[in-house]
Amino acid sequence: MSEKQKKEMTKSQILSKEITEEYLEEAFRAKKEGRIVCYTTAISPVEILVAHDIIPIYPENHSVANLVAKKGAEMCSFVEGLGYSSHLCAYARCDLAYRATGRTVTRGIPEPDMFLACNAQCFTLTKWFEVLSRKGGGLPLFVFDTPQYIRDRRAREEIVKYCVMQLKELIALIEDLTKRKFDYDRLREVLKYSREASLLYRRFLDMAQYKPSPISIFDALIGMAITVYRRGTPQCVEYYRTLCDEIQEKVEKGIGVLPKEKERFRLYWENLPIWYKFSDHAKLLSSYGAVILTSLYVHAWSFEFDLDKDPLYTLSENYVSRFSNVTLEERVDMALELFERYSLNGMLMFMNRSCKAVSFAVPTLKEILTKRTGIPALVFESDMGDQRFYSETQIRTRIEAYFETLEKLNLARG
Amino acid sequence: MWEDMSLEDVVRCASDPYPSIREWKRKSGKKVIGTTFADVPEEVIQAFDILPVTLMGTTKPLKRAQALLPDNACSLARSNLELVLSYETDLFDGFVLPQVCDTTQHMSDIWRINVKADYFESFLAPRQVDRPSAKYWVRKEIDRLIDSLKNFSGKDLGPTDLKRSVEIHNENKRLLKEIYSIKNENPSSVSSKEFFSMVKISQQVDKGEFNRSLKKIKDSLKPGKKEGYIDVILCGITCEPIEIYGLFDELKLNVIADNLLIGSRYLEGEVEDGEDLIDKLTERHFKRGFFSPIHGNVFAEFEQIKKLYKEKNAKAVIYVHIEFCESQEYDLPDLKRMMKQEGIPMHVIETEYQTTSLSHIRTRLQAFIESIKGI
Ligand code: SF4
Ligand code: SF4
Repeated sequence: MSEKQKKEMTKSQILSKEITEEYLEEAFRAKKEGRIVCYTTAISPVEILVAHDIIPIYPENHSVANLVAKKGAEMCSFVEGLGYSSHLCAYARCDLAYRATGRTVTRGIPEPDMFLACNAQCFTLTKWFEVLSRKGGGLPLFVFDTPQYIRDRRAREEIVKYCVMQLKELIALIEDLTKRKFDYDRLREVLKYSREASLLYRRFLDMAQYKPSPISIFDALIGMAITVYRRGTPQCVEYYRTLCDEIQEKVEKGIGVLPKEKERFRLYWENLPIWYKFSDHAKLLSSYGAVILTSLYVHAWSFEFDLDKDPLYTLSENYVSRFSNVTLEERVDMALELFERYSLNGMLMFMNRSCKAVSFAVPTLKEILTKRTGIPALVFESDMGDQRFYSETQIRTRIEAYFETLEKLNLARG
Repeated sequence: MWEDMSLEDVVRCASDPYPSIREWKRKSGKKVIGTTFADVPEEVIQAFDILPVTLMGTTKPLKRAQALLPDNACSLARSNLELVLSYETDLFDGFVLPQVCDTTQHMSDIWRINVKADYFESFLAPRQVDRPSAKYWVRKEIDRLIDSLKNFSGKDLGPTDLKRSVEIHNENKRLLKEIYSIKNENPSSVSSKEFFSMVKISQQVDKGEFNRSLKKIKDSLKPGKKEGYIDVILCGITCEPIEIYGLFDELKLNVIADNLLIGSRYLEGEVEDGEDLIDKLTERHFKRGFFSPIHGNVFAEFEQIKKLYKEKNAKAVIYVHIEFCESQEYDLPDLKRMMKQEGIPMHVIETEYQTTSLSHIRTRLQAFIESIKGI
């Protein structure tokens, strides 16, 4: 990074870049040194791996880098040539293309030695990792099975118990692979960092409550990366502390994503982002005085670990209860709470062809949220990574029409 | 109601079993619970004297499901939702819904919110099956299902209720297995369409009654010709619409073995007798092929198909792919490659419940048969 580039970056941006580079450096070095590299899912009890000095790698994040760089259509269509269908998750398609061609906009990611898939996020990852595991000749794949966290107190107790049993099985597996005893004190320490970072991350997300909001969902998404892949480390804590300080400064100076008088629509976003439309969308929305503030997706990493509980218990409780694994009624409650807390007055609901796990609930979710808030929703279909499923004019027209409706209903702020 | 059926009745019923279930319900005054595929222990539901009906979609047009599910949802999910939203709206007293893939993960919620019924329960079968915790979990879930059904029905299980239910289910499976082996040797005496219709409605009607029909049918089967038939192995989850079997019969493809849910994966599910039947039901969960393709181990599936292919001296494998079933789609490219390497001819049929014309499947199957004739 040149000095000039460095000067233009904020402290947190520099830190984020350093942490990421250091992490990848360590990962590639670890591979050379014969340490274990474990591919895992964004939502997975990574603290166990970190505590045992196993390098976690997230093929999803690697795919995101390629999708943001607009490589989705090219990589996805390549994979279709290998016999995979066009409606599988774009992260998976992108990753399979990378495996086959080695082409990526980053330096790539090290090859895996094992897999940890947690299905609180989705089942796609389990299938995708199955494919990778057999391509590696049958590498160990541990499925951390998190039954849907149904709303029944007794059932929940049993579910958490089952999850704790599985974490013990995971520990036995990694002890066996590394021939090293697992250190529970170290796990407690890792969990402490995770908790601290998580609280700071949540504080950062919650700054969107201010009017005008100093951050939009785009900032939240960029700020999310570190907690995904560096949870459980002191660097992660440092990053969020720096980030929070920076945003707090903005708040104090009254700096918003949009100036106070221009911020009229404070929006909820349902689903993952459309990665290749990131900046376009931000620009388009701001021309309407709109800013997307939050989503359940970015909140998925605001864990509430309880250090007074058994570490495996609090890990289980937290991972099993992510928004993607609770009942739809509870997901509604979680979303409504965001509407309230962030004073939202509009919602964009994205039906993402790539992500059935999150999208299939959208029509029902929309019905309930609209009924309960009185706010109409814009539902539109596209794909988070494969540009071939994005219709520019259609989406633009629909967004325009949506804001007109909101205007007519007089829902604008101020 | 179902105790005196001919083969023709069976085929007719398999294409639309619901009028007869409705009639049965009216006459018996009993309750009906719908389940979707995924290893729900139907014996437990039957033990409460409630009819468990596995829902297998509808071939009728989709009207309301589209608004609730995008068009890249598999047709099993879409047509099942349509079935209960538009066609069988008041037939079911309740549902036990499992979750096995991204499609089904929220399906139970979508149903609970949009479909009218008094009772909804989730069956949370484990999605990992090789570790001791999985066994613990299945047992816990069966116990929870029993408690939940007690609440719903207001009844307790008597000492012999579960035993009797298990016996009826086991008998059903044994009878079907016997008919399957007769069919294998005598494909002209009982066709694939007839046989798989029997397996299908076995999961939908009262088995106690239907077993009597099966016995009579079995005893009435006459030795038939085998010449001119090509033996094939059928793979996948389900094979719908059921007319596809008619195509096999027409083209003289004899399904000699399979790994379908409406097939061997059901037949394998006999429960052993023992002191603690819930434990035996738990054990059964791990003994038969699972529904969930999430447990898909392509190496194992390949070995299983290869073994069947060799043992049965079959000529080809036909794989039924339910469009938009992503679990299958992650596995298929590797399975195809392995089959090719092994020199096993495999033909993939793409289906949807709403498929109305089978002519393209017929043409492609004919071409495939031509290509394997020389082998
Ligand atoms: S985008 Fe959806 S389907 Fe893909 S990995 Fe993420 S949660 Fe799973
Ligand atoms: S496993 Fe496949 S066919 Fe079954 S519900 Fe899921 S997507 Fe549909």
